[in-house]
Amino acid sequence: MLEVQHVTAGYGKLEVLSDLSIQFRPGRFTAIAGPNGCGKSSLLKAIMRFLPLSKGEIMLDGKPLEKIGRKKLARRIAYLPQECFCPDYMTLGELIELAGHSRYELVGGPSERDRELFSQVLKTVGLSDRAGFPVNKLSGGQRQRAWIAMVLAQDTEIILMDEPVNNLDITYQFAVLELVRDLVENHGKTVISVLHDLNLTAAFADDVALMRGGQCLISGTVEDAVTPENIESVFGLKAQVFEKEGRLVCFPERSETTVFC
Amino acid sequence: MQRRLVFLSAMTFLLPVVAGVHLFLGFRSTDLPQLLFAFAGSDAQSFEEAVLLYQRVPRTLIALYVGGVTAVCGFVLQSLVRNPLASPTTLGVNAGAALFLVAGVLLFNLDTKLQGAAALVGALSGFLASLAVAKAAGRRNDPRGLSLILSGALVTMFFTGLTNALLLSDPARRSDLLSWIVGTINHAYADRLALFWWVGVIAILMLLVLARPLTLILFGAEKAASTGVNVPIVSGLAILAAVLGAGSAVAICGPIGFVGLVVPHIVRPLVGNNLRISLPAAFLTGAMVCIMADLIGREALYPFSLSTGLVTDLVGGVVFILIIKRFYLSSGAQQGVA
Repeated sequence: MLEVQHVTAGYGKLEVLSDLSIQFRPGRFTAIAGPNGCGKSSLLKAIMRFLPLSKGEIMLDGKPLEKIGRKKLARRIAYLPQECFCPDYMTLGELIELAGHSRYELVGGPSERDRELFSQVLKTVGLSDRAGFPVNKLSGGQRQRAWIAMVLAQDTEIILMDEPVNNLDITYQFAVLELVRDLVENHGKTVISVLHDLNLTAAFADDVALMRGGQCLISGTVEDAVTPENIESVFGLKAQVFEKEGRLVCFPERSETTVFC
Repeated sequence: MQRRLVFLSAMTFLLPVVAGVHLFLGFRSTDLPQLLFAFAGSDAQSFEEAVLLYQRVPRTLIALYVGGVTAVCGFVLQSLVRNPLASPTTLGVNAGAALFLVAGVLLFNLDTKLQGAAALVGALSGFLASLAVAKAAGRRNDPRGLSLILSGALVTMFFTGLTNALLLSDPARRSDLLSWIVGTINHAYADRLALFWWVGVIAILMLLVLARPLTLILFGAEKAASTGVNVPIVSGLAILAAVLGAGSAVAICGPIGFVGLVVPHIVRPLVGNNLRISLPAAFLTGAMVCIMADLIGREALYPFSLSTGLVTDLVGGVVFILIIKRFYLSSGAQQGVA
């Protein structure tokens, strides 16, 4: 169980998380949503310890995260940044082999078990025939699945994703999120993902955390949290929420005058 | 994967061939069988054997060491600085080592051993000076690391100016250093190789051990850290190893330019960016390039000989322009390290 307790953090004087508390339930897909600049990515960075905390603590199974070494942490939590950069000529096979770094000896390499995991991972993301292919020559949707493969090859129970479906067309958005859904349901992973789109959140996530101004205003299951009142208080936007085929759909209303605040 | 292994094995096969040509070219073919036995004996039995044992062999070994080590260090620097123009030549490393060695000889009369130490300190100082200038110029706002390269050029000019001033101030002794300062592979430097070879060996072993975490750092500091890499320690150790390795090469035969810049660009498209494979490939290729440059310098204008450093500078300068064109001036220029 990953728990964020009264965390305040920022870049220099700029405070991006202020007294934020949230619990992420294991074996669930939690989406983090909220307006731009509300601290969604910073929350993930704080969990990964890229952002030093000035107050509060983040606990993993009751143990403060900062007491866990980098290598040990890499065996528990994997992280998919918002923008990934792959060096040229790197093949997909090399990419996922590198991901297991925390399990290898310094001069050693992957074990037999690791190799089995890698071929399983490639099958899961549907890229079994692309192992020898340079990552930078894959199509946009395939590349995003390659990054997810790298995260899966790290073989952790918790996976953090920062907008994994950004810049993908709607087909790939669904394909990637179906894959994430499958990881949670059939592979026992805990996924915590920043997602911009409330409709995608409602369609795929179990839980949702709505953030604003560096705080988590509302958290709970999708059914409880995605309501017109909550959307208005977090996004400042009037919206209808209705159910269609067992799924919630948000329908923002157009206003006569656009207000930027 | 196939092509990578083919390239590695081809280089492993070609390097001894080129080294053999470097060793034996110019001897009468009738002497060759007997010359092969020269390695078995303890001392030279003829003039030819003396040339082989005391001139050719040291030269080949120096070229092998300098080319190999410089290329590996250049590869690592390009990876860490994330800039295709990074190399010991362009980051002030070579100029720093040269300045400190010349100052050590002319101002403090250091012996050969301490000259090496001075060159290593100089290599580090040159790199740190380039870093400091880049920081002052606002490197944080420059993701492609070009400011570091420009700072390196600035530091190189400044250090070279100081080196030249020192040389000019001491006409009596400057001739000893003149051929060293342009980078010369010369059998006279065999004792320097004997003194400093271990620096490069340790540097390369260290870089090979760090190859996987270093490869992960190519994906960006945060991605690397998320996979369990201690980024500050790994990159710090790697830079130290690369700078000292390159400095040791300068300590032996002066700054041989551009090998550290050009060889990574030859190697990368052929074997990729996985440092476990590309560092050995860079070593083999760098060694071969340097042996060939020395061969050209020796044979092209026979009976006159060109400094190896001049040959690599001439060829490297042209390739430098091609790299700039490809990475900075072409439409859709590539991001970061190729």
